[in-house]
Parts: sequence; structure tokens; C-alpha cells
Amino acid sequence: MLRGLSMFILLLWALAALFGGGFAAGANTIDLQRILAPPSELGLLGFDDLGRPLLERLIVGAQTSFLVAFGVVAVTSVIGSLLGLIAGYRGGWIDLLIVRLIEVFLAFPGILLAIALAGIMGPGLDNLIIALSVVGWVGYARLARAQTLALKQRDHVSAAIALGSGHWRILLRHLLPLIAAPLIVEATFGVAGAVIAEAGLSFLGLGIQPPAASWGSMIRDGASYMLMAPHMVLAPGCTILLVVFSLNLLGDRLRDRLDIRLTARKRS
Amino acid sequence: MTGSRSAIRVPLLFLAWLLLTACGEVLDDRVIRMGLATAPLNLDPRFATDATSARINRLLYQRLVEFDARSMPVPGIADWRRISGTHYRFRLTRPRQVFSNGQPLTAADVVATYRFVLDPANASPHRSTLTLIEQVEQVNEEQIDFYLQRTDPLFPAYLALEILPAKLIAESHPFESHPVGSGGFRIVDRSVPGRLRLERLIDHQLIELVEVKNPTVRVLKLLRGEIHLLQNDLSPELVGYLKSRDGIQLKQMVGNNFSYIGFNMDDAATGNPLVRRAIAHAIDRQAIIRLVMNRAARTAEALFPPEHWAGAVDLPPIPYDPERAKALLGRAGYGPGNPLKLTYKTSSDPFRIRLATIIQSQLQAVGIELDLRSYDWGTFFGDIKAGRFQLYSLTWVGLRTPDSFRYIFASDHVPPAGANRGRYTSPLVDELLLQAESQESLAELAVSYRHIQQRLHEDLPYVPLWYEDQLAVSRQEVEGYRLRPDGNYDGLETVELMHSRISSAELADAAD
Repeated sequence: MLRGLSMFILLLWALAALFGGGFAAGANTIDLQRILAPPSELGLLGFDDLGRPLLERLIVGAQTSFLVAFGVVAVTSVIGSLLGLIAGYRGGWIDLLIVRLIEVFLAFPGILLAIALAGIMGPGLDNLIIALSVVGWVGYARLARAQTLALKQRDHVSAAIALGSGHWRILLRHLLPLIAAPLIVEATFGVAGAVIAEAGLSFLGLGIQPPAASWGSMIRDGASYMLMAPHMVLAPGCTILLVVFSLNLLGDRLRDRLDIRLTARKRS
Repeated sequence: MTGSRSAIRVPLLFLAWLLLTACGEVLDDRVIRMGLATAPLNLDPRFATDATSARINRLLYQRLVEFDARSMPVPGIADWRRISGTHYRFRLTRPRQVFSNGQPLTAADVVATYRFVLDPANASPHRSTLTLIEQVEQVNEEQIDFYLQRTDPLFPAYLALEILPAKLIAESHPFESHPVGSGGFRIVDRSVPGRLRLERLIDHQLIELVEVKNPTVRVLKLLRGEIHLLQNDLSPELVGYLKSRDGIQLKQMVGNNFSYIGFNMDDAATGNPLVRRAIAHAIDRQAIIRLVMNRAARTAEALFPPEHWAGAVDLPPIPYDPERAKALLGRAGYGPGNPLKLTYKTSSDPFRIRLATIIQSQLQAVGIELDLRSYDWGTFFGDIKAGRFQLYSLTWVGLRTPDSFRYIFASDHVPPAGANRGRYTSPLVDELLLQAESQESLAELAVSYRHIQQRLHEDLPYVPLWYEDQLAVSRQEVEGYRLRPDGNYDGLETVELMHSRISSAELADAAD
């Protein structure tokens, strides 16, 4: 039941992000007559402080969060996995350098570093993706390195070396497929983290700029009207909660599915 | 075993006791608490420039001159006599006034205060309004002579500076943190940051000014009884919400703080009078006031409201007329094929951003694409003073004397010399300003300034928007607080707490 619901929510999110543009044409249309109007047949989720329909703004916000989340995860997973693979496989000073770099990044709270970077680079979608990517690759690198260190002593890797395979071939054909499962699980949680981070930075005014909508900026706008129009905060707040919760459930499910030991135990 | 159990139980009980009793400070129910959006920055009136400091300094100190409802200068602690066009004699009418340190206020204190501000070495921001004064002399214990460089019938209106004790000025006393004035209040405690406790000298009533930045939190504190009184800095929606609550009273009166859209005259687009007039016709001020500001404002046509003694009463309102705006834009060479694109700067205050977004959508309806930029106050104001803008919106607060027209619109008053931030240059307005300064009587002066306002209404270096109302919200037990059109806190002189109206339950809640 819960699984089905979470998949349904994620499907809605993806559909809203990919095909919702047509339903959100009026997201920025100001209507002073409908300022802070509660949910009604005119607007299913009500209207904001400028009389704009919250449902349509939520759809635009879905596009923003989807783009940022998948953009950040794509960049960070590729860069992080590659660095982790190289560090674990090559060892020596390259490993030392990458490990030190990872430690330096881990020493900072990620979101604070992202806030500082977004502040320096200025607000905007592209800068938001860059800021979150700079701090997001570390988890993938650490995971990929640890997995590679464990796998590189395996017989099939030694055999590939003996057969004269090149380093890149060994990394991409013999190691990467074996470490892909935990990386995919990590990426799923990464999407959830990026959704929260994007909302957080937009809440602080460092993300999407008005009049464009983002779930974080919608909460920021609504915070001033909590007493009079709680729907302005509840709508984007609950949406973030549901999407992140569903992503975490998906991550857990993937981890269970891709864990060979767990699957084998179930079969036996 | 028993020993170890009690060893756990004792700290647990202590922790529980701490949690139960740590509900916050005990509030003294004899103190009237007023919530402020920002704490005062400087309680030395010689250097204070922010509105909160100026309003609190009015309570702590006294002035030679005050203003009536029409903004005409009236005697404060002194009356005056014009001996000649360039010579005024002021006489302290309340000779028994004393400073909070016990010293009497005399003519020497007035002379010392004005001499300090006039000394360029002291870099007082208020010096520029007083440069007309050539000399200040003490005649006797009660009389002071002011000698001017040229005649100016407005002169007494410039003497609204708070008076400080001469002895402490000589000793370089830190007035900014330890003010010593002769006003109706004195500071009794400012040890807690963001809290200022004043004592009203006439009846020893304690009044605490508490800084609560977030308006929602301010309202919640008012509802809970942690503060008794709020003035302005609330969104219209919060005011509407408070109106619907029991036990809350709301006072509202017309204000005179002037909101406007300013243009950069050096810019090719906004320097064009057709574009400025098109923008003026494209903004539906009535709709914004009615639907967004909850009718808590009135439309403005000039810097001063009509009730001001130099206010222009016969200026025709600029109507909302999008078709005319489009036609004017067409005449200026803009249209669907060549849309006008402008950048609009505003502060990061959420309400200002909201208004800017509405104006953006109204201008879009006539074909003007507005790019909104909101900045923190320092960056925004720095850009405006440096002329780095096409159009912006701001509010003039506390303007009293019509010499402000020279400060704001004279071509030689571009910052830092004045506040002609839009680089407005009009030989005719410069000429009219010169004529106004040579007038001998206030009646003639008023006529001159009305001509200037007429001209400005035609040229539109500013698009006049509105004068926002003054609002005070208080709990039912608060009595006697009177609002002022400029939003000062003089109402604290008469405010009372009627204890009979506080229910015992509320008192218990407040003391929690």
C-alpha cells in the first residue's frame, strides 16, 4: 500500500515536471481579487498573496525541483563515482590526494558550503545546480572508493590485468558494474537530499528568483501569512514531505532489491 | 541497588523541574511593552538618522520648535521673534526644564548643541539643513540669537534638533549609549540587547520597547500578552487578522509618508517624459490600495499631502488609463515589435517585493517588460545614491519643510550634495526654487512651492504613488495611545494600562 502510494506520488511528480507546463500557464498571473483566497472550486489549493493559483505554482515548482534534483545527481554521481574509482583502483598519492579532498569537504556542513557558494555566485537555477554539485559528489566518491578497494583484489580483476586489459577498461567494464548497485541507492537518496537542499536555498532567496516558482520560495512567501492563510505553507510543505518520503522509500526498496545477500537469503 | 536508583531519580527529577519551570522570564505586569520592528541605532540626536532612533529621541530630549497638524512650526521649549530677515531671537519659555542628570536646561545648552552640529569637524549628518546659520549667540540664561547668511521665512522650522547639556557635550559624553535629555522620559535600563526600558517622568510609568523583527512573531506576542502595543510595520493581511480578534483594538489615521517611483533621467528610456507618463497611467493605484493595502493608504499627487501648509490642493490625479499608456509608449517609439525593457530596483522587504511584482504585472499589460531586482537595504540604497538604476521605489519619511524640494529636485543637489538621486535637471524648477527662497512671507512661499509641485507633476521625475496610513494595534487594556501622521511615538506620553481590563487568567499566562 505504502509502496504503491510512494510510486504514485513520484509518478505524479515526474509527470508534473515533464508534462505539467500546459496546466500551469497561469502560474504567474496576478489577480488582486483573489489574494490569499482559500481552496475552492476556482483553485483547488487556493491562491497566494498576489492572487496566483497555488496548484499551478506547485506544478512549476515541481519542474524546478525535478530539474535541480536530477541535474545535481547526474553531475555529482558521475564525478564522485569516477574520483572514487580512480582513488580506490590506483592507490598511492592519487588516493591520498582524493581522500584528503573528501575529508576537507566532509569537514564543512554541506548545506552551509552550498549557501556560501550560492551567495557568492548569485541566485539562479544554474548557480544552484553548481553550488549543490560542488558539495554533493563526496558521498559517491567515498562509497565508490571503498567498494573498489574491496573489489580490485578479486580474481576477475587480476585475470583482466593478466590478459592485458587497459585501466579504463578494467574500471568501466569490471569494477563499475559491480559497484553500481550501492551507487544507485546512494543516488536515490541523493535526489531526496537535492530536493530538500533546493527548497532550502530557495527559501533563503538564493535559488529561483521571483516571479518563477519553487517549493522553497513558496514556503518563504507563505511564512508571512501563516496566521491568515496557512494553505500557502501547507501546500508546498506537504508536497516536499511527500516527495522526499517517497524517494526515501524508493531508496530503501532499491537497497533491499539490489542487496544480493538479502535476496539470496529470501530465496533460500 | 536502591542507591543507584535514587542516583538516577534525583537528576531526572531535577531535569523535569528545570523543564517545567523554564518557561521564560517573568514579565512585570506594571510595564507597558511596545513591539518594534527595529531597535534604535543611535540615541545621540546629533548623529541619529534612522526613523526609530529619531522617534525615541523625541521622547528623551526636547526641541526649540515643534510642528502642528499642517506642519507649520510652533513653539516647542522656546518661542521666537524675528528681529530682522537674518536675525532671530529665541526665548526659552519653560525655564525650569531639567536634564535627567539634574542640570537645568539653559540657553547655553542650546548654543552648545547647535555649535556642535554646525562645526564641520564633527561631521553631523544634520549640518546640511542648518548651514544657513552664520552664528549662534547666547544673549542671557533664557535667550539665544541666531544670525543667518540670508533671509529665509522658513528658518524656525529648521530648529527641530534635540537639545543636549552643554557640560556633557564638552566632556564628549557617549549620548549614543547613555542619553541625557530633558524630555518626558529617561532610560532606566538597556542591558538586554533589543530591549530599552524607559521611565515616564511625570508618573514613573515604565515603558519597554522590545525589538521583534518578524511581524508574525510580533503579532503572536501581542496576542499572548507579551507586548501590549504595536505601531506600523505590519502587512495589511496581519492588520485584517488582528481586526477580527477579540481583545484587540486598532487605531488608524491618514499618514504623510510619501511613496513614489523614481526615475533615472540620465537613462535614454526613463529620461523620456512620454515613458514616465505612460508608466504613471499604467499603474492602477486605486486597485492596489483597495485590494492589496486593505485601504490603509490614500493616493498621492505630490511630496506633501494637501493638508500641508505648502501642499498642492488642486493637482489633477493621474488616472489609471492603460490605453493612454500604450499610446504614449507608441509615441515614444515602443510597441509590440520593440517592447520597452526596464530594470526596477527595490529593497528585500517582502511587502515591497510584493508591491513591485504587482507593478511589474500592471506594466506588462501595457507592453513594458520589467526586470525586478531586490537587494538588501545597504546595496539597494547605495545603488540609488550612485544613480545605478532605471527606476526604483522608495518612501520619503518625515518630510516637514518645503526646502526638501531643493534637496530632492535642484540640479545641483545630486548625491552626495543632496538627494536628487534621479539626476533631474530642469532650469525652470531651479529658477522657481531660487524665487521661492527669496520670498519674504510664508504665504508667498506656499504659492511658490505650489508652482514647483505643479511643474513636477507635469515633468514626473517621480511617479507619486500613495501616503500610507499610520496604524497602531493594542490590547484592550491599553488606553490613551494617540497616533501621529508621521508615525512618531509621542503617544507613549499618554498611554495607560488599565489593569481592571486584564483578566486574572491572562495575568497568570503573562507571568508564566
